[in-house]
Amino acid sequence: MKVQVKNLHKEFGKTVAVDNISFEFDSGHVFGFVGPNGAGKTTTMRIISTIEEPTSGDVLLNGVSVCEEPELARRVVGYVPDTLPAHADITVHEYLDFFARAYGLRGKKRTQAVEAIEEFTNVIGIREKHLKALSKGMKQRVSLGRALVYDPDVLVLDEPAAGLDPRARVELRELLMLLAERKKAILISSHILTELTEICNGVVIIERGKILETGTIEEVLKKSTPRRTVAVKLLASELHQNTALLKQLLETPHVENARDVANEIHFELTGDESAACDILDSLVAKKFRVTEFRQTKQNLEDIFMNVTKGGVQ
Amino acid sequence: MTATIGKIKAHFLNWRAWEFNPIVIKELRQGVRSWTVTGMLMLFLVVLFLTSLAFLIGQSFDVNENMQLGGSMFSSFVVILAGASVFFIPLYMGVRVAAERQENNPDLLYVSTLSPTRIIFGKFLCGAYIALLFFSACMPFMAFTNLLRGVDLPTVFFILAFLFLVVCATNMIAIFLACLPMSRPFKFLFIIAGFFQSFGIIASLIGSSYMFMRSGVGAMMAGRDFWIGVVTFVGLGLAITGLFFVLAVALISPPSANRARPVRLYITAIWLLGFLLCFNWVLKTGDAGRMVAWQFPTFIVMMLALLVTISNADLLSLRVRRTIPQSKLKQMFAFVFYNGAAGGLLWVGGMLAITFLASSVVQLFFIKTTVPTGEEKDWFTTTAAYAFAYALTALLIHRKWLSRRPPKIAGLLAVLLAAAWAVLPSVFLFFVNKLSWNSVEGLQLGNVFNLFTLREDSQRTLHLLFASSWFFVILILNTPWFFRQLRNFQPPIRVTAENSPPVLK
Repeated sequence: MKVQVKNLHKEFGKTVAVDNISFEFDSGHVFGFVGPNGAGKTTTMRIISTIEEPTSGDVLLNGVSVCEEPELARRVVGYVPDTLPAHADITVHEYLDFFARAYGLRGKKRTQAVEAIEEFTNVIGIREKHLKALSKGMKQRVSLGRALVYDPDVLVLDEPAAGLDPRARVELRELLMLLAERKKAILISSHILTELTEICNGVVIIERGKILETGTIEEVLKKSTPRRTVAVKLLASELHQNTALLKQLLETPHVENARDVANEIHFELTGDESAACDILDSLVAKKFRVTEFRQTKQNLEDIFMNVTKGGVQ
Repeated sequence: MTATIGKIKAHFLNWRAWEFNPIVIKELRQGVRSWTVTGMLMLFLVVLFLTSLAFLIGQSFDVNENMQLGGSMFSSFVVILAGASVFFIPLYMGVRVAAERQENNPDLLYVSTLSPTRIIFGKFLCGAYIALLFFSACMPFMAFTNLLRGVDLPTVFFILAFLFLVVCATNMIAIFLACLPMSRPFKFLFIIAGFFQSFGIIASLIGSSYMFMRSGVGAMMAGRDFWIGVVTFVGLGLAITGLFFVLAVALISPPSANRARPVRLYITAIWLLGFLLCFNWVLKTGDAGRMVAWQFPTFIVMMLALLVTISNADLLSLRVRRTIPQSKLKQMFAFVFYNGAAGGLLWVGGMLAITFLASSVVQLFFIKTTVPTGEEKDWFTTTAAYAFAYALTALLIHRKWLSRRPPKIAGLLAVLLAAAWAVLPSVFLFFVNKLSWNSVEGLQLGNVFNLFTLREDSQRTLHLLFASSWFFVILILNTPWFFRQLRNFQPPIRVTAENSPPVLK
């Protein structure tokens, strides 16, 4: 399943919510959709899920246009909104069964599908509980179950981890990784960017309706931070040497922006791998007792802070 | 055509695989679990039981034989049943739909693969099932009254069927109101208005029931007039229920859909059927005045349609534009059945014009006995001219000065314009201390309500002249916009290999 967002544009009156954006993702991949509040993430996701119609542009789900054939597109896309199910007087099982019926599943096929989803989302123990009595985490599972009950190939999740406790977040992450293994194409938006880094293969960063960065996590990292940040740590008993080390590094070629960060010295390396080796050699030669010399790992949060300006429409 | 017949045939052959509408199952499951329905049903049964007990104990103290005890008990049960079903069931269904259907965040069932028609039909059926539950609970009590004399069994079942149809119609109206895109306070106001309106419905239901009881349905059933009355009532009920059904479906359809088409097609079909029935009535009685039974409801519906029409946006969504026919001739017909103020105005105008024309032609050939003069025709024409003048002026103001505001502002402006023109002269006269009954009943050109309070009939002609002149001036001012809309009513140009831009390498 290939999801292609093509020149998508959406206006609400004079407000441009989504400004001519294009990206694509594939089955078996989790694609992160990142941006500040009001960036246009939810609107894009609602268009992909056929809830909204774009002003111009289109979204193709394996060639099926969400504008031309929304009824057909709805059958292949499962949408988990940021609001949780709040129906009164209905149990978890009845809720899932209703959506299975609504999507045309009949007889035994429906029973099996609902049971399989209850097992997959681990809601069997609460299937007879009323929806209103569930915790936020459990509601999120039910919401995910609802989106999966008719086995869509594309899953669009809008802030699924918002308000969940750490355990529920870990469980949700595991579920999503399992779904990716089952060859679902997943688009997920979240504010908890460190988590997205762990599960996403690719990312789109959006602000004011425009795409700022897109690609695999590695590509985006490379693009947003052309210079690598290196951390140097001295032996614990020699931390008093940090000032001397800082001074030394500032005089070394290919080193920029050296600074003390929590008893470590961080600097930006402007050269290649051999330049890094030369720097380490020079430090050892100057009798600095180095215990760590490593490249710091940047995550999505750093990229997000680098590329966005916090603007909303 | 063959494919459609094949589809229908396959559907009926495959009847073993038929399943209930998912909405009905969901709603009934919720209904069963809800304390509201269970509690109301229990209370209903307790009231029925206590009422029966009170009647029977009361009778046991009476030494005289009461040959009307069954009738008296039945009347009380009708009041209880009408009260419970007309108040409770529409309120319950309306609140359920409104809770799911929020203005900015509709429930996902509205964006599932279920069509809006199935969703609304499911809600309607669920209301009918709940009504059936209440009626089933009441039926043994009512049938029992037959044994106590004073009411015959046909009357019992006829009144139950009559009441059931009314409950279904009110249920549909409640669902429609719940689907209206309004905030909660407004919906709450509607609930209050509906509550008071229910008293009127219940009162007329009880009145009709008494009438049937007195005459005895069993005795009336042999007469042809009785069945004509029944068919007319059922037909009217179905037409009204159907109208609210298509309106509710249009309301929950996505904004990008062509919401106008099913509604306008339905109204046109009912309007045509109404004409045929009314004309048949005129033929039978020879009285052209009977046409008013078709003319008046058409006028009311068209006035409401005019208000909704001018609140439509000019731009058609891509999804709608893709369904515009390619043929120019088909486009002309399709124009009036698509979203957009221009097409809607043409449809309303056309419907009203044909209605007046048809009524006038009928009056040429048949004698008019029920209404003595041609005043009512002038009244229709003048009011219609005023309505169009207000509507077109509101559209013009919206387009010229408030184009950044949503299109529904145009509808609001039209109402405000009519209201302001009616109120401001009186307010002015009040402040100059000249407000009197004479001034209210005197000529106030531009005030449509003044038509109803005029003392001198001759002044109606002045109103007609003023309204027509205003209408024609504002029509001319709107003509460029109208033709622009007509020109823009085209299917989008599809990018094909032949007309796609060249690929640069």
